[in-house]
Amino acid sequence: MKRFVLFLLLSVVFIFNSHSQEGVKYGKKLVLKEKTQISELFKNPKKYVGKTVQVEGLIVKVCEKRGCWIDIVSDKEFEKIRLKVDDGVIVFPMEEKGKKIIAEGVFEALVYTKEDLIEQGEHMAKEYGTKFDPKTITKGKTEYRLKGLGAVVN
Amino acid sequence: MHWRKLLRVLHRDIGYIAAGLTIIYAISGIAVNHIQDWNPNYKIEKSTIILDSLPKNATKDEIVVYVLKAINEKGEVKNTYRSSPNELEIFVEGNTILVNYLTKEVKQEKVNSRFFLKETNDLHLNKPKGLWTYIADIFAVALLFLAISGLFLIKGKNGIKGRGWWLTLIGFGIPLLFWLYYL
Repeated sequence: MKRFVLFLLLSVVFIFNSHSQEGVKYGKKLVLKEKTQISELFKNPKKYVGKTVQVEGLIVKVCEKRGCWIDIVSDKEFEKIRLKVDDGVIVFPMEEKGKKIIAEGVFEALVYTKEDLIEQGEHMAKEYGTKFDPKTITKGKTEYRLKGLGAVVN
Repeated sequence: MHWRKLLRVLHRDIGYIAAGLTIIYAISGIAVNHIQDWNPNYKIEKSTIILDSLPKNATKDEIVVYVLKAINEKGEVKNTYRSSPNELEIFVEGNTILVNYLTKEVKQEKVNSRFFLKETNDLHLNKPKGLWTYIADIFAVALLFLAISGLFLIKGKNGIKGRGWWLTLIGFGIPLLFWLYYL
């Protein structure tokens, strides 16, 4: 019995050691050969909505509780895009903040009414313990994001 | 071997193997069940200080060195990012520092993973994927076997034909009631 347990443990160690170290992979394997600049997505959104694109950038924010979204910095200054993944399908750990990512996802346009934005703001304020003033929301907006399929973080 | 004796042997040995995984899934289950009230994976400490001054006409790298020294942060800088014309974010291992050039405010967000709990949550939510998916599947089948075999381990008035029947009925009834009430 001791030999069996030892064999089992050694097998597990071998499997973990043979795991690839070339970046941490999330979700599906990357398939696209060309990257699209994030600034290009924002510049011509209608051209890309519904299409799968590959982007590259720095991860600057990670969903604290579920790891279900990340913010990726654009090539254009002060611009970023949110990559949302299905809860539990891909989980980004907070340690990935500040690392480079290559990600693939479907470019989406989300249309929010004023009421939607207020509800969203109140939810975020509650979750992160920050302040939110509903008066700052005066009208609805269209938000662009990526529905994440797969990624490699280095 | 009599079928009940074989069932006991299998129930016992599979039970031993499943003990570790059951404990992991149970602890993580409680932790994740209350995700609305707390962060089961990380302990996040947020703090804000206001610096007396920031070096004038300094480069981004000089600002980074100055701020890290001022807050006594010795971790390795992973990256930096200008989130707005007046703000700079510095990413250090386990810490994110947001510097506001105008207010001289420095916000820190220190992240530490909860020892053991994060690992159990990662396994419970199948973060490793691949091989772990199959291990979790086998574990689920093992639990199914333990549950069903457990019903027939004992005969007599405490077995499934007596007290066991009523207790099993309660076990099925609880989720059924919630299902009827909420869904």
